[in-house]
Amino acid sequence: MSQELTRMLDTLTKDIAGAKVTLKRARRMRIDVDADALPALLELLQGRGSYVHLSAISCVDWIDDNQFELVYHVWSYESNSLVSAHTRIPRDPGVYLSIYDLYKPAAFFERDIHEMFGLYFEGSPSMEKFILTEWEGPPPMRKDFDAEAWVRDTFTERDYNPEWLKELTDAGGGIAIRPQDIRK
Amino acid sequence: MRPENYQAINHPPSHEYELNFGPNHPGIEGNYALKVKLQGDQVVEAHADGGYLHRGFEKLMEGRLWIQNIALVPRICVPDPVPMEMAYSLAVEELGGLEVPIRAQWIRVMQLELSRIAAHLFTFGGHAATTGMYTTMYWGVADRDLFLDLFEELTGGRVYHIYNIPGGVRRDIPDGYLDRVTSTLDYLESRLPDYDNLFFTNQVFVKRATGTGTMTQQQALEWGVTGPNLRATGLKLDVRRDDPYLVYDEIDFDIATEEAGDAWARTLVRRKELQQSIRIVRQVIERLPSIGGPIRCPIPNPLAWNVPAGEAYARIDSSKGEVAYYVVSTGGDKPYRVHVRGPSSMHAVQVLENLVTGGRLEDVAQIMFSLDACPPEVDR
Amino acid sequence: MTDIDYKAKGSILNPLKNLQFLGRRPVTQPLEPRPASANYRGFHLNDWEKCIGCSTCQKVCDNAAITMVRIPDIKEDPVNGIRNLRPAIDYGRCCWCGLCVDICPTGSLSLSREYVHTCTQDEIDSYFVLPDSSGMHGTYGHGWRKTADADLVDLSRHPMAHLEPPQRSDNFDEIMLGFTRQEAILEASRCVQCGMCHDACPTHMDAPEYIRAIWQDDPEEAVRQIYRTNPFPEVCGRVCTHRCETACSIGRRGEPVAIRWLKRYAMDAVAPERVKEIAAESKSDYMTGKRIAIIGAGPAGLTAAFDLIKQGHQVDVYEGLSEAGGMTRWGIPEYRLPAAALARDVDVITSLGVRIHYNRWIGRDIDMATLQLEYDAVLLAIGLGLGRSTRIPGSDHPQVRKAVELLREISQGSVFAVPRSAVVIGGGNVAMDIARSLARLQKREYGTVRITACALEDRAHFLADEIEIIEAIEEGIEVLDARGPQRCEQHADGRLLGLKTWKVDSIFDEQQRFAPRYDNSDERFHEGEMIIEAIGQMSDVSVLGPELTELLEWNRGRLKVDAAGRTNLPWLWAAGDCVNGPDVVHAVADGHRVAASIDAYLNIREDVA
Ligand SMILES: Cc1cc2nc3c(=O)[nH]c(=O)nc-3n(C[C@H](O)[C@H](O)[C@H](O)COP(=O)(O)OP(=O)(O)OC[C@H]3O[C@@H](n4cnc5c(N)ncnc54)[C@H](O)[C@@H]3O)c2cc1C
Ligand code: SF4
Ligand code: SF4
Repeated sequence: MSQELTRMLDTLTKDIAGAKVTLKRARRMRIDVDADALPALLELLQGRGSYVHLSAISCVDWIDDNQFELVYHVWSYESNSLVSAHTRIPRDPGVYLSIYDLYKPAAFFERDIHEMFGLYFEGSPSMEKFILTEWEGPPPMRKDFDAEAWVRDTFTERDYNPEWLKELTDAGGGIAIRPQDIRK
Repeated sequence: MRPENYQAINHPPSHEYELNFGPNHPGIEGNYALKVKLQGDQVVEAHADGGYLHRGFEKLMEGRLWIQNIALVPRICVPDPVPMEMAYSLAVEELGGLEVPIRAQWIRVMQLELSRIAAHLFTFGGHAATTGMYTTMYWGVADRDLFLDLFEELTGGRVYHIYNIPGGVRRDIPDGYLDRVTSTLDYLESRLPDYDNLFFTNQVFVKRATGTGTMTQQQALEWGVTGPNLRATGLKLDVRRDDPYLVYDEIDFDIATEEAGDAWARTLVRRKELQQSIRIVRQVIERLPSIGGPIRCPIPNPLAWNVPAGEAYARIDSSKGEVAYYVVSTGGDKPYRVHVRGPSSMHAVQVLENLVTGGRLEDVAQIMFSLDACPPEVDR
Repeated sequence: MTDIDYKAKGSILNPLKNLQFLGRRPVTQPLEPRPASANYRGFHLNDWEKCIGCSTCQKVCDNAAITMVRIPDIKEDPVNGIRNLRPAIDYGRCCWCGLCVDICPTGSLSLSREYVHTCTQDEIDSYFVLPDSSGMHGTYGHGWRKTADADLVDLSRHPMAHLEPPQRSDNFDEIMLGFTRQEAILEASRCVQCGMCHDACPTHMDAPEYIRAIWQDDPEEAVRQIYRTNPFPEVCGRVCTHRCETACSIGRRGEPVAIRWLKRYAMDAVAPERVKEIAAESKSDYMTGKRIAIIGAGPAGLTAAFDLIKQGHQVDVYEGLSEAGGMTRWGIPEYRLPAAALARDVDVITSLGVRIHYNRWIGRDIDMATLQLEYDAVLLAIGLGLGRSTRIPGSDHPQVRKAVELLREISQGSVFAVPRSAVVIGGGNVAMDIARSLARLQKREYGTVRITACALEDRAHFLADEIEIIEAIEEGIEVLDARGPQRCEQHADGRLLGLKTWKVDSIFDEQQRFAPRYDNSDERFHEGEMIIEAIGQMSDVSVLGPELTELLEWNRGRLKVDAAGRTNLPWLWAAGDCVNGPDVVHAVADGHRVAASIDAYLNIREDVA
């Protein structure tokens, strides 16, 4: 079954330059593809491969490679299998094409990725803020945004000072290792 | 928007007006807003507005050890937390090549279905309230509490169970537990006629829900609708069947469907799912005593656990639809990326906007609830 | 299950059926608090008697809710792995996940069956709690606690491949074969990084750091961490008495992490040439011009030499025998520590520029006065080279030998007539070493083993390590407990016949002084062509000469030194077995201590000059 699927996908993608199909496990396929060939691939998957359900678009910030990875997870209700189409684009300028024309759910995912990673999708119905309405800082899901440091800089921590602690401190004991001392 | 940032705007005279549903509104669980533009009582435009419950879970997870994240994930969907724990665990198990012992798999199925029942009871209550029927809400919440009692006994927590861990579950079932599950199921079954009388066959509900917020199969597929909402358009599609996980392929159950695709059909599918979930849990109760063995496979010391590099996409059918976790490891002791795909990111945004547009003001709340969306899952 | 036609059945009157509920009793929940379920994750309870202050709970806490607090009333005991820290919980952060409970190595932590704590804003300090066994409110007792099937601590050690008795009993091949990379990573991953090992180790090795490095598959970093405190890793990685493992918090309920074997793995994994480079990394790039003489190339002397050469001093080591290592070379048998492994450690040390002058006995070939004259400082690290005698009747027979001397002959490969039967007096590790060495020779020569070891102690109080006794028995040695040696019997023709023993009733008197009492009705005779005394060693201080011996201060026959290892003479230090003991790692610690003291002294002299 899975063998057949891979064969089917191999044939399907033979005209797409550089597309590489890997069977990951039962019902999970991975296709790596160049950024400019991805829309064509999705069109094939949807039209000829029956992968009509866009389950999600995931974005991964590979900051060391200076790239964003976009992963389009599409499900086929006919062959009961998931294809994850992986592609990478440069982190700068971070612009890519919307696939809203093919898959309507892309609107949410693209808007979310735009908001969280700062990646712009041309042709997407709305690139407006949705979750971080009043956030002016950098897109927070980028690896170079340090959320913990931001919290430290923004908020002041309040210390407790219960009786038992005063007593211990007076006796020469008291706080020895704070949680922040051990966090890397 | 925070109140201190609100500024009244003087609009030019118009026969249109804008109304904010939420961010505090009984039409939906948790804080969420839907801004609708109206002409008379006709909705001409609708915009969902999230973010009131954004806690940055995906970011937080990148900074925590693999195991620490099990305490975070249930918070992503408060009314139905088990699928969140499950999808995360399944993804990590796939990455780490962990074989979950059979006993743990059956216990997991039991939890998932108990969680579905609890979530549905909650939804019915809320949904009934949108048409003014508050008794159903009180009943729903009270009966859900009996299921929370079961969770408390099994997992040590009523709402945030933190019970699933990559590799299995954290504790075996307590002595006599299955008997108590049985009696709670018996009780719920005996209550179903009461619920039918009060709500499901109540003509106020039937009339109000019929034809409200209707979508076709075509639309549902196009808009990425999943779970009970999709099945309410007559499609027999369910991750538990189509992409089976745990031991679902050994379990006997019917996929509940309805044809109409409206608010009524969506509610009825859930009503039928109660019975199916009871049926599934009863099968677990029957099988579990004969399945010995451990409840967790050996896992490395959580403080020194490098999960092999790779990526996994785990899918679950929750009470709300398709929950999926995309987890990426670079071989370190923390996830490199966790992307949470909740069904509500479709249902509470695009689908909701589409369904209320063109409808009437008094149906907005009902449509919202009939989709059973979960805002914390949209916000993450 | 019947499906009803919901639309059709829907009568307008249906809801009215529920009017019957008006006649039912309402559900009433009493207001008083009730205990939560038996497994509830409520507030923390901590059994302070069991808790060792390891901070592991703090490390796993996903919400940074745990602060470690020092309790001055609790006694610190690093040797046994106990700190006076206890966790305090911030309930403004805690999410009641119970991960801390599941990982706590001692099992001291649990959660209660209480649901509620609340307070007004000005009582907010009540959210910060130092739980003991009564917990926050002292009601309802234990809920969530550790269970065996859900423990997050891995209690069992990864086994190491080793030679079985048939493969090992007629040769001196190393028994333990070392970890593979995979095994080492797995074993290293058991560590919870509490650092109890570091505190317990006499030389305070950075074990958590090198274990972490091994887990991260970075053995070079592990070697670097190891060399910060120990220039004898090949030796210690095999024969160390591993105090660290005694203190290991995992060992509270399970098998401690194999810290010693992991050290060996790191050394196995890195090429000797690379080890030399790593060891040289912090070597001073200038010479101070100071000269130090060290007497004895055992672990103590060479550790001091290692430190001093890195500090830029010139170091000359004088060794009476033909190879370095002291007792690790001539005492410890090869099946436990191959000479080649020791040689690699020594090689690293000499590669830094330490000069070892072999076959030079101080006191015979060169005298102390010369050293005092030629060097800025002198260190005495002569170990305990002489065996002690029982002085029982007949013990002056030539076939009654001292264990250390015989072991040295065996290690040197000297030819001697292997006795067909032998009796070893002693129940410590040295006794096992000589018994097992002789057993190998007998097996090789005659095919059978006839050795009896007589320990003074009873089985429960044996001084030798358990594994030594087990392996000795596996190799065919008869190990007897509570036998007190009385007389070495000999034939009229002068041949040694064997040993007569009495049963031991008690070893110490009321004041805990050594005063064995015997039951002479239980007498036994153990046949032996040779008897070996393995009851302890002593130092050969004749090296000092009468004049120096007079000048120096003594403490019950041992040279008196201060905490830094210095004698009452400003130029003379002493380290290792000859003053402290009892093992390699103490000798190493001692070596560091005196080196620091010598270095400080030389620097002051510099300032004055
Ligand atoms: C049989 C046996 C087994 C042991 N097993 C273990 C074990 O498993 N684990 C462990 O940790 N410890 C063990 N020990 C103890 C350990 O070997 C010693 O504690 C350690 O070697 C002491 O080191 P040191 O440098 O103080 O002295 P030594 O190692 O004794 O070195 C002293 C050196 O000084 C030389 N020397 C002495 N006098 C002179 C002189 N006048 N001139 C020149 N050179 C001189 C000697 O030849 C020797 O090389 C064992 C000891 C014995 C006897
Ligand atoms: S992990 Fe357990 S033993 Fe260690 S400090 Fe915490 S409570 Fe104490
Ligand atoms: S229960 Fe969880 S959150 Fe609370 S202190 Fe323990 S590890 Fe931290």
